[in-house]
Amino acid sequence: MSSDIQPATTKIFFREAIARAMREAMRDDPRVVLLGQDVGPFGGSYKEFVGLSATFGPTRVRDTPVAEEAMIGLGVGAAAAGLRPVVSITYMDFLMLGLDPLVNYAAKARFKTGGQIRTPLVVKTTAGAKGQGVAHSQCLEAWLMSVPGLKVVAPSTPADAYGLLKAAMLEDGPVVFMDHKRLFPTAGEVPVAEGHVPIGKAIVRRAGTDVTLATHSYMTRIALEAAEALDRLGVSCEVIDLRSLAPLDIETIAQSAARTGALVTLEEGQLTCGVGVEILFQVLERTGPIATARVGALPAPVSSNPVLEAAALPDADRVITAIRRLLESSRPGKS
Amino acid sequence: MSALDLLADMLRIRAFEAVLVSRRDHGFQLLSSGAEAVAVGVAAALTREDQLLTSGRSIGPALARGLDPGRVMAELLGKASGTNRGKGGRGHLAQPSEGFFGAHAVVGGNLTIAAGVALSFQVRQIPAVAVCIFGDGACAAGALHETLNLAAIWKLPLVLVCDNNQMAVSTPRADALAPAALSDLAAPFGLPHATVDGTDVLSVSEAMRAYVARARSGGGAAFLECLSERFYSHSSSTRETRSAAEMAVVKTRCPIERLAAHLLDAGDLDAEALARMRSEAHEAAVAAMAFAEAAPFPDAAEALTDVL
Repeated sequence: MSSDIQPATTKIFFREAIARAMREAMRDDPRVVLLGQDVGPFGGSYKEFVGLSATFGPTRVRDTPVAEEAMIGLGVGAAAAGLRPVVSITYMDFLMLGLDPLVNYAAKARFKTGGQIRTPLVVKTTAGAKGQGVAHSQCLEAWLMSVPGLKVVAPSTPADAYGLLKAAMLEDGPVVFMDHKRLFPTAGEVPVAEGHVPIGKAIVRRAGTDVTLATHSYMTRIALEAAEALDRLGVSCEVIDLRSLAPLDIETIAQSAARTGALVTLEEGQLTCGVGVEILFQVLERTGPIATARVGALPAPVSSNPVLEAAALPDADRVITAIRRLLESSRPGKS
Repeated sequence: MSALDLLADMLRIRAFEAVLVSRRDHGFQLLSSGAEAVAVGVAAALTREDQLLTSGRSIGPALARGLDPGRVMAELLGKASGTNRGKGGRGHLAQPSEGFFGAHAVVGGNLTIAAGVALSFQVRQIPAVAVCIFGDGACAAGALHETLNLAAIWKLPLVLVCDNNQMAVSTPRADALAPAALSDLAAPFGLPHATVDGTDVLSVSEAMRAYVARARSGGGAAFLECLSERFYSHSSSTRETRSAAEMAVVKTRCPIERLAAHLLDAGDLDAEALARMRSEAHEAAVAAMAFAEAAPFPDAAEALTDVL
């Protein structure tokens, strides 16, 4: 295919991409239902479900009480019995309240029943800090990555939000779709044609030759900002957006890291047992020794206080500093 | 089902568990002897389209629902011929094609799942009912209250059955739960609720028929508490905390002896026929064990199949 033929796209907001994916899936498949707090006529906390209630009605778009265990449990049970529910958990912090049915039942149902039961369920939840404090800011995706039977996706663009949500709703097992408070108001080009983005495929957002920077979700934007600044300093940074955390597309990262010889991971969550350490180890298993570093939150709760919130979280300056320090120590003179 | 059928089903469960525990190498098992009337009374009220979910204490309900005893025994022993290919084992028996959606061994963990099954029936407009049997231990869990609330608001075709055997491992029900009757837990949600003698299979099945019919016709959820007994300790590897004197009293509340005496009194059964039924139940259990023992274990490669 000639590279100058591009599919037609339209610029929409991240929240609109989610609504579009839901609308198309609910139109195509009567088994798709949406459960969650404020997902009905209110249209979702970030307007990401606007219009669905009016189109599909209260049987398929259900406002729930504040009861995360029952919300996810009902979604799992309904999935096991023939529906394809999407359960909206407003913030990822509250996912903890519903982990039992997700981890103990949904992620194991297929295995433990010898393939008799499948749980095609999507749990959509919003991570990340935006001034809401210690119990409304967390990025807990690394916990979920260690659960066999669970898939986890984390888009950073409207196109991927649309495409990955469409893909998640086609899966036969549970998928956690993690978005981010700071992504909802962002806009981007989304293909006009309907389709989906395959789960398990990372994407190179920016090509580079000196260092590979692997990240996901909102931090992809921070990574691109850092890469832009590094470019002006003469450091060519390749930015990989993971998109899917489970399964991880480790080959794409390893190939890039083998080429650049340096790998830095960036996440908004904790470094201990985090996404980064998993990526680094799996890449090192493939490449052998290369220069590595990881950037993430401070080992502290994330306050709603703007000074403390900013202090706890990675930003472009910290990424730049980490990369320069890494290259300085591994390749003196390069940065 | 006739009362004789109910008796036969209870005898089969009792004999099955007796054969299972007679072999110590069969390890940790969750037994339901003493509560056969709950399993059989509930199952008698269900049609093939309905789905039964249970706690981990599921041998009785699985057999009452009509699962093949050989395959159930094989599953309990981890054999590849088991209902779950040997991968679920004790506490996770399942065969949804037979109306046994399955057991789940997290206490209270199947309550929200059962409500979800009911939601699926409701959304797809299938006239079927989901029933969940759970122990008194689950009544302290928040999941029950979340489930009662949603089941009431959405009028789900769900019947919650508390098999109250009055012990959570070693903790007596009175030390763990404040309500006078556990069925009272459903009252604030406006759901029909009742407590029946769980050693009387006729009472259980009568109460269940009414609740199931109501749920099937769109009337919504209900809560039935069945006061049963646990003839074994919590599991086959848990030490018994009740004294011999206490156990002697517990065993006087036997659902099988109760129904048999009733049928003998009424002239619907004679001693010879009863002895024949016991013998048939034992032979069926022995055959189930023979099938299970002869079955192979799954290949170790199965550890990675049906994961994703």
